[in-house]
Amino acid sequence: MAGALAERVFAEKLGRAGFVDVWVGGHRPTSIDEASLYPLFTDDVIRLMRRTIPKERHDHVATAVIVKARKPEAR
Amino acid sequence: MAKDLMFQDEIKDSVKEAYGSISAGAGQAVASKLYSEQELAELPPGAVDWALGVGNPVRFAFLEAGEVVLDIGSGAGIDTILAARRVGPEGRAIGLDIVPEMSERARAHATQAGVAERTEFIEGEMERIPLPDASVDVAISNGVLNLSARKSRALAEILRVLRPGGRISLADLTVEGELPPEIANDQSAWAG
Repeated sequence: MAGALAERVFAEKLGRAGFVDVWVGGHRPTSIDEASLYPLFTDDVIRLMRRTIPKERHDHVATAVIVKARKPEAR
Repeated sequence: MAKDLMFQDEIKDSVKEAYGSISAGAGQAVASKLYSEQELAELPPGAVDWALGVGNPVRFAFLEAGEVVLDIGSGAGIDTILAARRVGPEGRAIGLDIVPEMSERARAHATQAGVAERTEFIEGEMERIPLPDASVDVAISNGVLNLSARKSRALAEILRVLRPGGRISLADLTVEGELPPEIANDQSAWAG
């Protein structure tokens, strides 16, 4: 999660890489409780998240999205 | 004190070590949020136990029979197996993962799912994909691009291996605003 981009930055990177028809959808809020289900988050980092992230963001610390795009056809 | 992980190789090694050291995935609790009952029924229970994704890229990829699909960061194989079912016997689903143990699990799960003959699991990095140019119709991934410290390089590699007109369907996390620095620099927050 620490390496996640903002949605706008993600879309811009795709465009700069050469992708076209970039679409972002399927937004699903991700909470600290949901993050704690993943074994890759240690108990320590979950505690750290609860301590350092404002409480009002605990239910939405990140957003899961689907990003679609296409490689241009050859000219 | 959190270790400073500003160096790209250090981040890559940390992610690889974290994924190589876990003994289970997030399991049914997460899988049931991401996949339909019908999709879960298409998977061996062991694959579902190893669910570590954040979305359902296959559902949004609208795969067609005969297509070649690359699953970047294929883990224990859930999305590769679903893709292999969608592309049928004339298609192929290739799973790419940096962790050898994950590829081993994925091969076993593909065999259990009965799609071994149309799947292939290879080891490698998303920033240096070991496939020829224009060899893939569709690239998918599930909660993986955020793990890369060289995202522009990874996207350039995905573009390279796609055929002209090829498409991507990536499930990933986005974060608006900055995370607290204690988290941004924490090893397990990068891997998670």
